Amino acid sequence: MNKKLHALLLISVFVVATCGLIYELIAGTLASYLLGDSVTQFSTIIGVYLFSMGIGSWVSKYFEKNIISWFIQLEILVGLVGGTSSTILFLVFESIASFRIILYSLVGITGILVGLEIPLLMRILKDRYEFKDLVSKVFTFDYIGALLASLIFPLLLIPYLGLVKTSYLVGILNVGVALIVCVSFKKEIKAAAYLQTSAVISILALLVGFVYAGVITNFSESLTYADTIIYSKSTPYQRIILTKKGKVLRLFLNGNLQFSSDDEYRYHEALVHPGLQALPNARNVLVMGGGDGLAVREILKYPNIKSVTLVDLDKGMTGLFKSNRMLLNLNKSSLLSPKVMVINADAFTWLRQNKTKFDFMVIDFPDPSNYSVGKLYTNSFYKLAKGILAPGGIMVIQATSPYVAPKSFWTVDTTLRSVGLHTIPYHNYVPSFGEWGYIMATENPVYKKPSMFLPGMRFITKESLDLMFYFPKDMAKVQTEVNKLNNQVLVKYFEDEWSSVL
Amino acid sequence: MSGRPFYKRGGFVNTLSRRSFLLKAGIITTGILLNGCIRRLKPNGAYKNIKGSMKGPNAKAGHILRDKLPLPAPIGNRKVKTLIIGGGISGLSAARWLKRQGYNDFELLELEDHVGGNSHSGKNGVSPYPLGAHYITIANNDDTLLTGFLQDCGVIIGFENNLPVYNDYYLCFDPEERLLINGQWQEGIVPDFGLQPGDKAQIKQFFALVDELKKAKGNDGKYAFDIPIDNSSADEKYRALDSITFKEYLHQQKLTSVYLHWYLNYCCKDDYGQKIDKVSAWAGMHYFASRRGKAANADTNAVLTWPEGNGWLTKKLAADASGHIIKGHMCYSIAHNAQGKVVTSIYDIAKGTTSLITADNVIMATPQFVNQRLFKDHIIRPVDYASLNYSPWFIANITVNSLPQAKGTGLCWDNVAYDTPSVGYVNAGQQSVKLTDNKRVLTWYLPLCDHEPRIARLAAYTRTYEQWMDIMMPELEYMHPGITDAIENVECWVWGHGMIYPAVNHIWGANRKAAQQPVNNNVFFANTDLSGISIFEEAFHQGIRAASQVLANYGKQAIT
Repeated sequence: MNKKLHALLLISVFVVATCGLIYELIAGTLASYLLGDSVTQFSTIIGVYLFSMGIGSWVSKYFEKNIISWFIQLEILVGLVGGTSSTILFLVFESIASFRIILYSLVGITGILVGLEIPLLMRILKDRYEFKDLVSKVFTFDYIGALLASLIFPLLLIPYLGLVKTSYLVGILNVGVALIVCVSFKKEIKAAAYLQTSAVISILALLVGFVYAGVITNFSESLTYADTIIYSKSTPYQRIILTKKGKVLRLFLNGNLQFSSDDEYRYHEALVHPGLQALPNARNVLVMGGGDGLAVREILKYPNIKSVTLVDLDKGMTGLFKSNRMLLNLNKSSLLSPKVMVINADAFTWLRQNKTKFDFMVIDFPDPSNYSVGKLYTNSFYKLAKGILAPGGIMVIQATSPYVAPKSFWTVDTTLRSVGLHTIPYHNYVPSFGEWGYIMATENPVYKKPSMFLPGMRFITKESLDLMFYFPKDMAKVQTEVNKLNNQVLVKYFEDEWSSVL
Repeated sequence: MSGRPFYKRGGFVNTLSRRSFLLKAGIITTGILLNGCIRRLKPNGAYKNIKGSMKGPNAKAGHILRDKLPLPAPIGNRKVKTLIIGGGISGLSAARWLKRQGYNDFELLELEDHVGGNSHSGKNGVSPYPLGAHYITIANNDDTLLTGFLQDCGVIIGFENNLPVYNDYYLCFDPEERLLINGQWQEGIVPDFGLQPGDKAQIKQFFALVDELKKAKGNDGKYAFDIPIDNSSADEKYRALDSITFKEYLHQQKLTSVYLHWYLNYCCKDDYGQKIDKVSAWAGMHYFASRRGKAANADTNAVLTWPEGNGWLTKKLAADASGHIIKGHMCYSIAHNAQGKVVTSIYDIAKGTTSLITADNVIMATPQFVNQRLFKDHIIRPVDYASLNYSPWFIANITVNSLPQAKGTGLCWDNVAYDTPSVGYVNAGQQSVKLTDNKRVLTWYLPLCDHEPRIARLAAYTRTYEQWMDIMMPELEYMHPGITDAIENVECWVWGHGMIYPAVNHIWGANRKAAQQPVNNNVFFANTDLSGISIFEEAFHQGIRAASQVLANYGKQAIT
């Protein structure tokens, strides 16, 4: 045994230790991204991981012969399991029920395998060093590796590669150790060629994963979002991105913020309650857009509501908000309520065919930033909506910011009035969005301000409602044209007004 | 290559050694073969993902007429009070008018298996699409016959302050038009992006002239330019414009901007299938100065369109008279019998049999070049058929699964590229309210106006599918680099005689007037070639005019 091989084995210790700690960090980070509450997640992950390492160390005594060969196979296995773990976790995250089982199983398996590494390495080296030297050297390199891992993980790997690519890279390093050991000790091990081939194939497989990691989480995309992307999916209609920072979840559709979990209550309380609280006899409610189920959550607070029909184009969107644990917590599983019927259809087309009338309608579409969405803010659309409003009913429309885009906001008002509706415009402050506007519309001038609100409201009160109805000078009504299918003035106003801000 | 150098080289061949001669011959032969192969391979290679076929009006029927093929002797002779020949817009309009006036004893014969003429349309899994005419502008308010029809079919849904309210779903959705010019898509088709002030000033000047002529009335108190054309003023001051080309007129007005000329060429191609050097100045200005329609909910010149283009109007127009329409039957000869009645010979295309129909009145809703062949020597009219010119057209319906985006304005209804042979494409899905339609049908229009119509028509008839693709694809790729990969299907359609074009002196010359005159007061005429411009409104009025002439024979008052 020459010095070169000694050095090689010690470097292996170093790499193995670094990789081992990085797997632990990846699992902890991923769990806190996806499940939130980083203290709990990190503690349990570290606990399970260390415990599994203990199991690995204990199991190591059952390996008696061909230790080098076992070590090489082990390294390949660690590389494969660890390398693909974050991909697997990202992919199964959607089916949230089994997510924790898979998470802790993967952490456990990686822990056991990593736990096996150092005992086996020490046994390989035991005849080559004195015991005190062995212990000193192995643990020195082990701890240096740990320090390196804890530094490069947050400073280099996550910012430049992201979680998924980091996993593959570390996996490649692990298998790389296997390959080098295999080549160096080929005289001492049986079936060296077989192990060598497996190592090479594994490295190639992990490389493929590394290259295509972008498909799983688009790194360039992650740069455009301040927070960590925990879910991303392209549906036929839009790109859905869910980010998380601390406890705050944010939903983006095609890059536009739809809600932030820390202040969405301000938006959804303002959207629903001024109207619905004024309709004590309301039975049937229609929500168009709003596939996140947050408006529905507010609507279901009224015991008098018998049915809620939600029309949202995107099955990918409503599916996500029907199945993801975190999102179900947020919308209180509103879309799973037996009172709620979800229809995945194009709102305009659906509205042209629909004959049912509704007591209360929430029209919560994305902002009119393109001609396709702009059609949903036209007089033609509102004519159809008016046609299915039950006598005495109220509809409410999210109408962009009266502060940033006053012309756009008041165009919605003018357009609603042009089809013979009476409007009640109002606004409130939503920190994520800024000053935001809504317009209620009724067939007759019948709206009466509610004298009280349901208990448990976090934002809205009788007093705040008075403020919401008042438009200060800088948001005062401006004259605009009617938005029609054949002029789409709203899209043009909206583009002008927001381009100076964004 | 001229013949001379060839002989020289021929002499040179004699001096070559046998080996080098064989080598050369080999290279040349290989070259010819390869060339042939490449020509054959290239289209299949480049367009291998694209499906589609070549279609057009019933060519077999056309040949029977043109080449006077022998047909079996007629069996049977039935009597019909009034027979309309041709189910294009003017024929359908005549049928509708007879029906509305309570006159039911008529039949309409159409040789195709569908009615509509050049307002024909098609359909695939993605969308219906036009195969010809595809829009109308809102009606002039004093054109009550037209507004009446538009009310009947739900295009006008009411009136506000005496102005018609048009159905929002039929008014062309915004954004309406864009032009690829100087490397960017600009909004609107009138060139603007990247133009010098001089060009912009001339364009402004032209539109000032248009505004003036829109309001202008002749000494008879009629509008200088009106729809239908025959309602226009007889004032020589304006009619004189018919005796010069539009191009000459523009030069007289010192309007020489290249950009303006391109724009006016585009407009004339779009409406008449010919450029400003072929079209009369009167017709050229009529395009701009005759439309004064006002609506409660749309601007003047607002466009009405449907996914299937004017195929939608065809359906509405045919609805009333559907029980009277006989398709797949071609009239191939017309003569008067001894009693002065009209005897028509009819060919049943499906059965291959012929029969006679004797009618009291016949409305020829067919173009005059067809009438000439039907009348032969039996009916002589003082009409110079040869001076009537018809523009050939090529139309492609392109199904794409995406549309590569470029700088500037996004997809509109009408999409045109500056200085290209075609007049661009329209998006058949424009009137869809759906949020996302990735698959679209684009209808691409190419007027074949670079050669004399006769030559262009013959060339068009012999072109293969691949050759049409070779003509179209470079332009589409110029508009949307990479679009070839997004194309799933291309349906090609050739109109040999797409539309009459208003050559100099056609509209106000003696010939058009002569062609409008009934023969023997029982053969009447209704076709847009009698107007000189091929637009829906003219066909609509031609039909009503002819139907009124028939009704006058029964003592009902004629409308025009």
